[in-house]
Amino acid sequence: MMMLCGLISVTALVTAYLATESAAARETSRVARDLGFNLRILPKETDMDLYWFQGFSDQTMPESTVARLANFEGVFMTYNHLMASLRQKTSIGGGDVILVGVAPTLTSPDKKKRPMGFAIESGTLHLGHQVGERLGLRSGDTLKVGRRDFKVAKVLVEYGTQEDVYVYGTLKDVQVISERPGQINEIKAIDCLCLTSDQDPISILRKELEKMLPEAKVIQDRVQADARARQRQMVQKKFEFLSPFLMVCGAIWVAVLSAMNVRDRRSEIGIWRALGKGGGFIGSMFIGKAVILGLVGGFLGFWIGNLLALNVGPDIFQITAKAIKTEWSYLIGALVLTPLLAAAASFIPAMMAVSQDPADTLRES
Amino acid sequence: MLICESLSKHYRSLNGEVKSLDKVDLHVNKGEFLVVRGHSGSGKTTLLLTLGAMLHPTHGRVLLNDADLYGLSRSERTKFRSRSIGFVFQMFHLVPYLNVIDNVLSGVDKTNQDSRAKAENFLQELGLGDRLHHLPNQLSAGEKQRTALARAMAPEPALILADEPTGNLDPENSLEVCTHLKKFQERGGTVIVVTHGDAVNAFADRTIDLKDGTLLSKSSCNDTEVINFDEEQSKKS
Repeated sequence: MMMLCGLISVTALVTAYLATESAAARETSRVARDLGFNLRILPKETDMDLYWFQGFSDQTMPESTVARLANFEGVFMTYNHLMASLRQKTSIGGGDVILVGVAPTLTSPDKKKRPMGFAIESGTLHLGHQVGERLGLRSGDTLKVGRRDFKVAKVLVEYGTQEDVYVYGTLKDVQVISERPGQINEIKAIDCLCLTSDQDPISILRKELEKMLPEAKVIQDRVQADARARQRQMVQKKFEFLSPFLMVCGAIWVAVLSAMNVRDRRSEIGIWRALGKGGGFIGSMFIGKAVILGLVGGFLGFWIGNLLALNVGPDIFQITAKAIKTEWSYLIGALVLTPLLAAAASFIPAMMAVSQDPADTLRES
Repeated sequence: MLICESLSKHYRSLNGEVKSLDKVDLHVNKGEFLVVRGHSGSGKTTLLLTLGAMLHPTHGRVLLNDADLYGLSRSERTKFRSRSIGFVFQMFHLVPYLNVIDNVLSGVDKTNQDSRAKAENFLQELGLGDRLHHLPNQLSAGEKQRTALARAMAPEPALILADEPTGNLDPENSLEVCTHLKKFQERGGTVIVVTHGDAVNAFADRTIDLKDGTLLSKSSCNDTEVINFDEEQSKKS
């Protein structure tokens, strides 16, 4: 009974830990994603003084650039979520706004990541908070931009940044309005290297990009990239240390419990030996019991661990709370590893007891 | 049938070497009922375990039906023990999670219906017919010892070795256990009992005394003082 309780508790703790670790990884990923794009790929000839002054490049590059970038082998090892846009200053309702046409975000086909940002339908616009306020527009209203009427799909919440004077539409619509078909002037991306500024990620990024897109250049929002990299590195380092440590502790725990169980049953080994039962019989009996206990302990421990993770997890990981779910792969692990460890740990002391004279086993028990 | 030659068993302890058995020579005939007497620590249990292929001697050898027990490999010795030797211990040593019938069958082929029927009959004979499916912790001391006796006899061994079989029993149960050992002898089996009391002497063909691991005397039943069992009972009570 003690061994079973021990096996249940160790499996439950390991399962709960692994489930929360996976939740923490998801949460970190979401937090990092929510920090936004930290890389901007611009036409090489961009006047950077002007760029910083007005918030967009005065130069353009072909829209196909983003597809070319995405198609380079291994590009998503360095970049993530590629989003092409065309930005320009325009006047709406007597005030200046920055009109941004965004293309659907490209993500790695292998990683099946959800695209960042918001989806915009053709013929609709998303207004920055300040623009919406100034024009007194709400969702469903109509706004004329250039020669075309657009439906206001959404007035965005106040960001407290320059984005409050942005008006977002599809890339195609904005290319038509600005009479720049097939052109873009910025690709936004996320730096996947997750290096901090002291590790000089921008040099690596620039070197990589020169090979792929000689007509472009890359700039990095260093503060944002640094925060993102440090958060990821912290979580990664924590798990790199804790996971093996916990796994080893769990394995030792199971081994000690199994060995103690055999030790407690030494008199029984002595009796079986006195009755003329050999090592095969005794070994299979003890290992059989360890396997059965391991299976029951692994199964119950998995469910208890999951219950723990499902109940405690949402309070800790609030962004991804709904994503915390039963991890079925851990059940396979629990049903394989727990009996295996219990059997291995039972085998050695059982065989040691069997190799002794039965009288010694009986006497020592 | 059973011969031990210059049998010694030494243990190392913090106070030096302990000679539990020291050059013991013994010859036990087939069908004999031998009682080995001695005080606590005299080496009688060590002798019994060594004779039963349960404990390697430091020196000497044990021959049972011409087989050198400690010249055999461990698995051969295990098989030999299961076929030829039955044990009865003072502390019963029943398997705690097996009921009476399964404990008795633990030393034989369980699938053999004949073995089961024999075991059930034997348990009836021992007065345990209504206890077949009880666990050891539901039995009295006497019932436990009778179960242990049935287990030792179930494989129909040539030799039964009993270590203080009446040590934890009241006179009535002691008598019953001794009677069944005697019956086993009468069916052609050999019995060796080690004890520090005198209750079993009445059933013995021969008693020998052991002191500090050395045999003191050899005697036949005829020249040993035979203690009346009833007298023993009244002394105990």
